[in-house]
Amino acid sequence: MAEFSDEHALLDAARKVKASGYTQTDAFTPFPVHGIDEALGIKPTILPFIVLCAGLCGLATALVMQIWMNAIDYPYIISGKPYKSWPAFIPVSFELTVLFSAFTTFLGMIALNRLPRLSNPVFTNPRFDRVTDDKFFLYVDSRDKYYNSQAVHDLLKGSHPEALFEVEEDSSSSSVPTWIYYTLGSVILASMIPAMVVFLMRNSTSEKPRWHVFFDMDFQPKKKPQQKTTIFADGRAMRPQVVGTVARGQLDQSDPFYLGYDPNQPTAALLKGNQLVAMPIQDGGQDPKVDSSSTATPSDSKPAEATAPTSDATQAQIPAAAPAAAPAAAPAAAPAVSPSVADGGQAAAPQAPAAPMGIQRAWITEFPLPVDPGLIALGKKKFETYCSVCHGISGTGDGLVARRADQLAQGYWLPPTSLHDPKVVAQPIGQIFYTITNGKGKMAGYGASIDPRERWAIVLYIQALQRSQDARLEDIPQEKSAAASGPTGG
Amino acid sequence: MSDRTDETSIRLPESWRSKSTALLAVGAIGLLIGGAMFLWGTDQALASRYLVHSYLTNFIYCLSFGLGAIFFVMIHHLCRAGWSSSIRRVAELIASTIPWTAILFIPILLMVLSGSSMLYEWNQPKADLHGLTAEKTGYLNASFFALRSAIYIGLLIWMTRWYFRRSTTQDESGSVDLTLQMQKWSGPMIMIYALLVSFLAFDWIMSIDADWYSTIFGVYLFAGSMFGFFALMICLLMALQDSGVLTRQVNTEHFHDMGKFLFGFTMFWSYIAFSQLLLYWYGNIPEETNWYRERLSGGWAALGYLLIPVHFVLPWLGLVSRHVRRHRFGLTFWAVWALVAHWLDMTYLILPNSGPVSTVVIIAHLLVGLGMFAILISFWLRQASQVSLLAVRDPRLEESLAYTNPLL
Repeated sequence: MAEFSDEHALLDAARKVKASGYTQTDAFTPFPVHGIDEALGIKPTILPFIVLCAGLCGLATALVMQIWMNAIDYPYIISGKPYKSWPAFIPVSFELTVLFSAFTTFLGMIALNRLPRLSNPVFTNPRFDRVTDDKFFLYVDSRDKYYNSQAVHDLLKGSHPEALFEVEEDSSSSSVPTWIYYTLGSVILASMIPAMVVFLMRNSTSEKPRWHVFFDMDFQPKKKPQQKTTIFADGRAMRPQVVGTVARGQLDQSDPFYLGYDPNQPTAALLKGNQLVAMPIQDGGQDPKVDSSSTATPSDSKPAEATAPTSDATQAQIPAAAPAAAPAAAPAAAPAVSPSVADGGQAAAPQAPAAPMGIQRAWITEFPLPVDPGLIALGKKKFETYCSVCHGISGTGDGLVARRADQLAQGYWLPPTSLHDPKVVAQPIGQIFYTITNGKGKMAGYGASIDPRERWAIVLYIQALQRSQDARLEDIPQEKSAAASGPTGG
Repeated sequence: MSDRTDETSIRLPESWRSKSTALLAVGAIGLLIGGAMFLWGTDQALASRYLVHSYLTNFIYCLSFGLGAIFFVMIHHLCRAGWSSSIRRVAELIASTIPWTAILFIPILLMVLSGSSMLYEWNQPKADLHGLTAEKTGYLNASFFALRSAIYIGLLIWMTRWYFRRSTTQDESGSVDLTLQMQKWSGPMIMIYALLVSFLAFDWIMSIDADWYSTIFGVYLFAGSMFGFFALMICLLMALQDSGVLTRQVNTEHFHDMGKFLFGFTMFWSYIAFSQLLLYWYGNIPEETNWYRERLSGGWAALGYLLIPVHFVLPWLGLVSRHVRRHRFGLTFWAVWALVAHWLDMTYLILPNSGPVSTVVIIAHLLVGLGMFAILISFWLRQASQVSLLAVRDPRLEESLAYTNPLL
């Protein structure tokens, strides 16, 4: 082993050693020295090829994994893409390629250098400690087949090293102390305990409630309906509606603008078998005195009264309805009204969907808002956004969804109604509004996603569409009718 | 030192100098024939559209080498790189073609100022525009466009001249201060450069589809430019060495490093191009996918699919081995390949907006491209014949000459 104080002396010596034919050599330096590989005659490593292969393995693994998982084992449509979508596979493939390559580079470097090497005889000489500081060392192994101690000494001396010394073989025992084995074994065994516990838990039955390591939202400090509480004097967790307040949506129950029909003009069908439906409305119509005495607390009835201001028309009709409905209405009113009040905000919900289909209501026939070109433009936009996917741009029921369903021919598809069907054309606008709001057949209600003004705009646009398919010559303005009648007449 | 910097080995050979004018003539003829083919060989309704799109494509192609070169020079100083000192002058010469190349942008600028919307659809009265484009007229209008273009060109010329002048002054004075000065300003200039290239790409290329936008577009142009620049560097240095110039100053190690960059930017370009595609593919929103839709119709789809092997897979596999990167023919082959791939990429960015593809369009576009490229080389020769091809008194030149790649 020769010691040098700069890398140029080391490189010179290394070239000489290489020129003399020694191959079992090594150099130790505090920093990477450019050109030391050539000087010592170190062969290029095969690591790049290993890494390339590992990278390709990573690529293949990623592709096989994704194709298997997404297209074969559990075919699942994501964002409407095909099962085998190459663009979606590329990021994962890229990452796995990089991951495999990086790990192989690191572990391969360690393995090819035969690391970790726990003990090396070069450390026996304290001079060698300065190899991580400012000294450079060149080492020729005595196991080299041309090794001749005197010749190597002369050769190294020729490059004027700072020091020249023999590396003593480390005489201490090279076997690992037994306590290390015991400690390692204990640690490995101990590390299995959590896995064993999990395994045991998953494969045994128990009557005890499960452990909650993480509580998540399993236990929440909240009260549910019908539970007791000590917070309020009456002990009810469920709170009645506060006197003089109006819950969200409650006003909508009486205004044709929100309903599409006039709730104060119940028709014969309404009286036949729909007390439940009628109740919230009738509540308001009835005399508050009767109401409070028979069923609910005053706090229950007053908001209801506020929501449905009594009109002359209901005054006239309700007395006729009341006797028939009263026996059923009295008990029914409380459950029908109270939960909705307690839920606060969902008050409008129980009423509308409960209505059976085909009921004849007092559909309104006049738009409850000013009609202008702006409204029809809004209607066109909203129709094309929400309705045209099924009903088609022109309303004939040939939307993209319907066409795709026809292609698939699965048998259970109910085609969307053509809006130019005479039955639909004959419907009053209120009924169309009602259908948009609450849905019909397979069509879902859109009340929650389109606000009422926009729903009316859609109704207006549907009317325009219907007129467009069923136009008369008189509809055309006078100055243009001549031009229009030309081609059609001819 | 004297051996390394003797006049004959660092000066452009006489045989090359005389070609500058000839190449300019050849380039002009190429442009004329190509233009004539467009005007009389293609569908009359689209003929002039084809011509201006092809012209812009090839202009951007030629400009992109300069864009890559100025970045290379700046990053060289920013990193205080030693290895690239001996090839830096050639890069500076490529960068200093920018003022000349910029002249070729004048016809496009005049076209925009004259109110033609053949290239940039936003260049119409606001009443005729619709949708998003109409909302963008505050930014996309002829006068502001001209102003920005002038700023881009002005800044680019200033940057390239700034570096070129200091570097050539050092040839005379050998002052280390100049190197320190160039180092000091490379950081701020790279920031300006990043914004400049992004906005240049937005304005000159992306706004052809005024509705469409992609925030990564500037990086896309940058990635392509660097790829093209390293290819041109390798080709020029190989050709110079074949004529006996820079043979001792540029060696396998330098070519190896440029090969690494070429390899790296193949990957980088693909990464950027795919990043852009993935988002639009995944979102699948009509106004965003429209750009790709245009490139999948009119016969252009083949070009898009061709770019995947030509711009990524094949050069990647070709350049992955260090043996190829250290092999003269191997590296030259892939450098020439990259020049073609970069041209196809620029074509893909711009030409599909003109109309459907046909054989005549391809040939005419190729002629315009060759013509423009010949003009670019002519500009480079004109620049290169005036100075030495080596930064002879660069303080890091010795380090560069002694540079070796670590053996893997």
